[in-house]
Amino acid sequence: MSIILEAKNINKSFSGVKVLKDVHIEIAEGEVHALMGENGAGKSTLIKILTGAYTKDSGSILWEGKEVEIGNLRDCQSLGMACIYQELSVIPVLTTAQNIYLGREPKIGKTGFIDYKKMNKMTRELISKYEFPLNPTDMVSDLGIGLRQLIEILKGLSCDARLLIMDEPTASLSGKESEILFETIETLRNKGVSIIYISHRLEEVYRLADRLTVLRDGVNEALLTKEEIDPGKVIRLMIGKEVDESEGSAKKLVKNTNEVVIKVKNLTSRGKFEDINFEVRKGEILGFGGLIGAGRTELVRCIYGADRYTSGNIYIFGKKHVPGSTRKSIKKGFGFVPEDRRGEGFIPLLSVNKNTAITNYDLISKKLMAISSKEELEMCLSSIEKIDIRPKDPDKQVGLLSGGNQQKVVIGKWLMRELKVLIVDEPTAGIDVGAKEEIYRLLQALAKSGVVIILVSSDLQELLRISDRILIMRKGKIVKEFSEETVTQADILEAASGLRQEESE
Amino acid sequence: MKSKADIKKYSKLLILAVFILVLTILKPKSFPTVGNISNVLWSISVVGILTSGTIFTLLLGGIDLSVGSLMGLSACITVLIIQKFGFSNQGVIIGILCALLIGILAGCFHGIVVTLCKVPAFLVTFATQSIFLGISQVLTNNKIISCLEPDLFTAIGLGRIGPFTFPIYLMIMIALISFYILNKTVLGRYVYAVGGNAEAAKNSGINDKTVSVLGYIFSGVTASIGGVVLASMTQQGMASTGSGYETDVITAAVVGGISLTGGEGKIQDAVIGAILVGLLNNGMNLAGVPSTHQGLIKGMVIVIAVAADAAGKYEPGFKLFKVKKGRKTG
Repeated sequence: MSIILEAKNINKSFSGVKVLKDVHIEIAEGEVHALMGENGAGKSTLIKILTGAYTKDSGSILWEGKEVEIGNLRDCQSLGMACIYQELSVIPVLTTAQNIYLGREPKIGKTGFIDYKKMNKMTRELISKYEFPLNPTDMVSDLGIGLRQLIEILKGLSCDARLLIMDEPTASLSGKESEILFETIETLRNKGVSIIYISHRLEEVYRLADRLTVLRDGVNEALLTKEEIDPGKVIRLMIGKEVDESEGSAKKLVKNTNEVVIKVKNLTSRGKFEDINFEVRKGEILGFGGLIGAGRTELVRCIYGADRYTSGNIYIFGKKHVPGSTRKSIKKGFGFVPEDRRGEGFIPLLSVNKNTAITNYDLISKKLMAISSKEELEMCLSSIEKIDIRPKDPDKQVGLLSGGNQQKVVIGKWLMRELKVLIVDEPTAGIDVGAKEEIYRLLQALAKSGVVIILVSSDLQELLRISDRILIMRKGKIVKEFSEETVTQADILEAASGLRQEESE
Repeated sequence: MKSKADIKKYSKLLILAVFILVLTILKPKSFPTVGNISNVLWSISVVGILTSGTIFTLLLGGIDLSVGSLMGLSACITVLIIQKFGFSNQGVIIGILCALLIGILAGCFHGIVVTLCKVPAFLVTFATQSIFLGISQVLTNNKIISCLEPDLFTAIGLGRIGPFTFPIYLMIMIALISFYILNKTVLGRYVYAVGGNAEAAKNSGINDKTVSVLGYIFSGVTASIGGVVLASMTQQGMASTGSGYETDVITAAVVGGISLTGGEGKIQDAVIGAILVGLLNNGMNLAGVPSTHQGLIKGMVIVIAVAADAAGKYEPGFKLFKVKKGRKTG
């Protein structure tokens, strides 16, 4: 087994914070090497150093035993590495072959005209060599995401890549598409191509990986061979034992006698989620856990009324509620903090003042249709006071605030109303620790006052810490409910990635 | 820091003052005369009226290219109805009401196609530009229809109150209404919100579609009013009455700093933009720039204004983000 790539003692800091500490990874020829770790463990940073997007602070990278400097993507390609990103860069209006040879099309003699015959022939040879289910002349726009990804892989192989880096390749693929990808990966391995495989889906890793490197907090936690890979072990290594025990939970278990505020029955949105049933009681924080693409965001958006569902019912205090529009839901006492803060949460060009008032004009008095700017300002000041928005300037454009303060503005506007249900989707993503704590306190205080909180979060610690009850979604369905105090991050991860089910099958 | 912000705030007025000063120095005999000033204001008034309505579509992140030919259509319909009613006062009132109705309907159509069919505003209004012109040509048989009577009609464009003609007052009134709506009412706030980030506006409980349709209706109505005023000023109706006004209106808005991507801009600045465009036209006439060259110069002004606006946006700390479309799932 010869080593194709070796990275030794890699260190990297960002503004004084060490994100990689003496990290080591080696990839053998023709192996699928899984790289695992929680969000923030340093996986992406390591990959970015290997592909030349970041420069390392110290350490060395060896390609076939020789030390190399990788300064940019071109260096990385000329060595024979190709990276398949989550966001595909194929061009839909071109054919498979045109995409693969984009920018380096074979020409007819020296004329500058493209030799399409030759291009298609070369593509066909590539396809048959690696046994891809593709056709050179197919229009990419007619192909699904799975096949588009294969084109991207083939593009890398056509440049004689010997090492492919795949970052969450199955995140947006269907089960069938993933299956095709797995078969392709196995074929590639047999042809001697090495693969660095990054995925949160444990079952994929167990199936594909020959070896596995676990990173935790920027440090090598373990290197396991195929025989040593064991589901529970990997999860424990990723999370770290001490966290596992100390961060158990702070459940306060809402009494069953409390009134049911919202009840969801058989809610289905075709292709997104199916047959969702749950109820939430007054003062409860209900957490939704699951992997990206499990359908959690789609579900809460439908409950709020931002999107439409296909069938099923929502009941509020026992009465049927059809969320025809967001306005209607707001009148019923809903509030919503969307996942994509910048894209959907606030209006960047408008001031804190106007962003706070935007949902609340029904509460501000008007004379001859003119808004009372005094009341508008008072409302904003009370929001700024209540949740400590900094700077305390009502006229500041929200787009210029820090992420944490932007989120506070988004949440703050709902606090000005009489809320019954607050839906928060990834409320602390990209927010500094201090603001995170404040948001947790805020959500807990709201729940204490009787507001129902529906929380979607991919941050396991967050989910465990503030939820009273956790529902796990996988592939559009609720697969597990945790309400006991003993639940751990490992339990959630297992349920979300589908391990537990497969074991029992 | 404070003084810098102040300069930014009053930069438009500053440019206006400089412009007037330059014209006064260059043409001391012909520019600062009562006759010429009143002339300038007269021509500004129509652009000002239109800009006060079209600004809604621009703030929403759309555009209305049909205003010029909608003016023509309103002018033709008003004049035809007045003719039909034997040039009576009754005909004037019905004519104006019909013109306003046309404006509302046109706006509704634009708004609905843009919001429900998700066709870019540019394309919809580009198409209706040609449709409205076509309807006017069919209605008038492509002839000029004069309308010298009754006095009630001619007074709209030519009547004087004090030193100024009536359209000036009309422009001020409409600009004030626009100012009031945009700055004081909930609808105004919603216009800025939808134009600034439609998804966030929707998540905040705003019916973005209704707001958009209303915006296009405002634009249509002001175009109709402009058409009636222009018909009265020229005492005639013809299909091409308002042609080219869309360029003046967009120039005025852009010079006034209205962002064509939506969500940003003030009505007062747009009115100053309209005045600047009026002065530019007047200055070119006084300087003897042949009309063949004027379009060229106006086009260049648009490019310079837009480029300056875009350059300003990349100043550090000003506005470096774009509203992202689409979203991740989780």
